[in-house]
Amino acid sequence: MSTFTSQGGVTLRTQGVGRSLLRIFAVAGNTLREAGRNRLFYGLLGAAALLLVFSVLLSDLALLDQKARLVQDFGLFIIPLLDVASAVLMGALLLYKEIDRKTLYAILPKPIRRSEFLLGKLLGLCGLLALQELALALCWYGVLKLRGGDMTPAIGIALLLSYIEVVFITSVALFFSALSRPVLSGVLTVGVFLIGRVSYVLADLLGAQKSIFSEVPAMHAIGRVLLTVVPDLSTFNVADEVLLGWDVPLHYVTAAAAYGLSWSALFTVAALLVFERRDIV
Amino acid sequence: MADDVLLQLDRVGKTFRSGLLGRRVEAVREVSLTLRRGESVGYLGPNGSGKTTSIKCILSLIQPSRGAIRLFGKPPSDALARARVGYLPESPYFYDYLTPHEVLDYVGRLYGIDRGTRKKRVPMLLDRLGLAQAMHRPLRGFSKGMLQRVGIAQSLLSDPDLLIYDEPLSGLDPIGRKEVRELMVDLRKEGKSLFFSSHVLTDIETLCDSVCILDRGVAVAQGRLSELLLADRLESEAVIELAADAQEAAIAVLTSVPGAVLCERAGAVVRLRVPTPRVPELTQRALEVQAQLRELAPRRDSLEELFMRKAVHVQEVGGAA
Ligand SMILES: Nc1ncnc2c1ncn2[C@@H]1O[C@H](COP(=O)(O)OP(=O)(O)OP(=O)(O)O)[C@@H](O)[C@H]1O
Ligand SMILES: [Mg+2]
Repeated sequence: MSTFTSQGGVTLRTQGVGRSLLRIFAVAGNTLREAGRNRLFYGLLGAAALLLVFSVLLSDLALLDQKARLVQDFGLFIIPLLDVASAVLMGALLLYKEIDRKTLYAILPKPIRRSEFLLGKLLGLCGLLALQELALALCWYGVLKLRGGDMTPAIGIALLLSYIEVVFITSVALFFSALSRPVLSGVLTVGVFLIGRVSYVLADLLGAQKSIFSEVPAMHAIGRVLLTVVPDLSTFNVADEVLLGWDVPLHYVTAAAAYGLSWSALFTVAALLVFERRDIV
Repeated sequence: MADDVLLQLDRVGKTFRSGLLGRRVEAVREVSLTLRRGESVGYLGPNGSGKTTSIKCILSLIQPSRGAIRLFGKPPSDALARARVGYLPESPYFYDYLTPHEVLDYVGRLYGIDRGTRKKRVPMLLDRLGLAQAMHRPLRGFSKGMLQRVGIAQSLLSDPDLLIYDEPLSGLDPIGRKEVRELMVDLRKEGKSLFFSSHVLTDIETLCDSVCILDRGVAVAQGRLSELLLADRLESEAVIELAADAQEAAIAVLTSVPGAVLCERAGAVVRLRVPTPRVPELTQRALEVQAQLRELAPRRDSLEELFMRKAVHVQEVGGAA
């Protein structure tokens, strides 16, 4: 039975993958709409854009041939950072707001699975963060043009990879917010982000000539284990390559994307498992 | 037959663990009840007796710690079973950036109702709830009563067989209460089954044929209202006008009927309560003292009295609160 018709003749279609996707999209769409009607969101976006414009003023301090360079450096540094910060902030509040404002009480009893609701929220937030990154990138592009710089394919790739990092952080935030309250989940998400950002140092130490990790076998083993259980977010940072004018090969991009999305999937599945069992009180 | 049972709770209990120390809170201790098609069951209990908690269990918002729940013969986790329920949460909230029209449209999409039907049903329901004017205004700034109406409208969207309402009449002004009560009467006439909580006894008396009384997490009385109210004591009440002289003596004669109690005296008029089997004896005595029987009626407990008695009973018997 794929449909159900009530006595009054209202037909409900709830069965099947297609219907499941439509519910996920409905939730995602509503998540986007919420941000779209939130003045705070526009305020933050405006502030971020101003920050980019500010880099123009900053660039006046630089030598003539360095002006475009500086704008470029600054943008590649600040845009991913702003997007990650938004991911942490909004991700931590994503479920809390719905529970705190009791909006979930009216939604979850509907014929929607909790997993569909969560995936919809995740999809919506990822979409929102993509739009935000795109808006900031466009603004930055304008500034860059003004200073005689230009967009290169490498810059596009750098932004794409940073967005994959953002998706990863969003799924981490979602997991923690399914588990605990917003402040704690925000802190924990930042923790994962920082560990992920510095884990490459460990990798360096493992391969270094003189380090406790390379010289003591036990520590070497521990280091190897740590490296496999901790995501390495430096994977998504190709700013150096861009600045040096090097190419980022396509196979690197696809591998990095696969790496990031696998980690996201892991955290998302964990979030689903936690949320499925959680009492909504 | 089994098809007729829309909702069944079998010894359902919920223990919360709250705080860092995991202190146990027995929100619901033991609730069993059955609701059949066409029935209207009132769920009555004082604050904190576990009504909302057990209702959330029915809708799978909370996992019960013990017992079993069947909704249309399926566990509440089954989305299709929930699709046939219209639920109104306690003091409902919806996304305040949406308009009532948008809320209902969103809900309709979750139900898998096609666009054409939504286009017809959404304005129709909002109009029925008196929200036609406010249909396209964001919910931010809506009063509690208006939110309640949005809540009721969205609960009816899928034309459900069973309505589960958590305090549908609270937070409404007298006119609002009357309107919502009338709406609920209409919904019953349309053949919908109703399960709703309240601590206002008169609402339940007027809207329900069955009642389940909850006290500190235990269902202490349940059954058809008419039976529950008569079951315990069969008493009658008589209003008698005494002759002008020797009134004290006459009262003594009347109250000598076994079980008779003098309830009230206003001048020559007295009100007495007697066990119904003793009514002939009372009328006999009244004749003897030349008093006139003005009124005689079987006394029905009010729901309130029933409630007080049952609740106090539990306190005496098992209540380690
Ligand atoms: N999440 C929770 N953690 C701990 N205790 C809880 C939780 N939710 C409810 N309780 C407790 O469970 C008991 C029942 O609460 P519930 O809200 O179900 O009562 P109610 O009958 O709906 O009351 P009211 O008439 O005030 O709405 C209360 O003592 C309450 O404090
Ligand atoms: Mg309640």
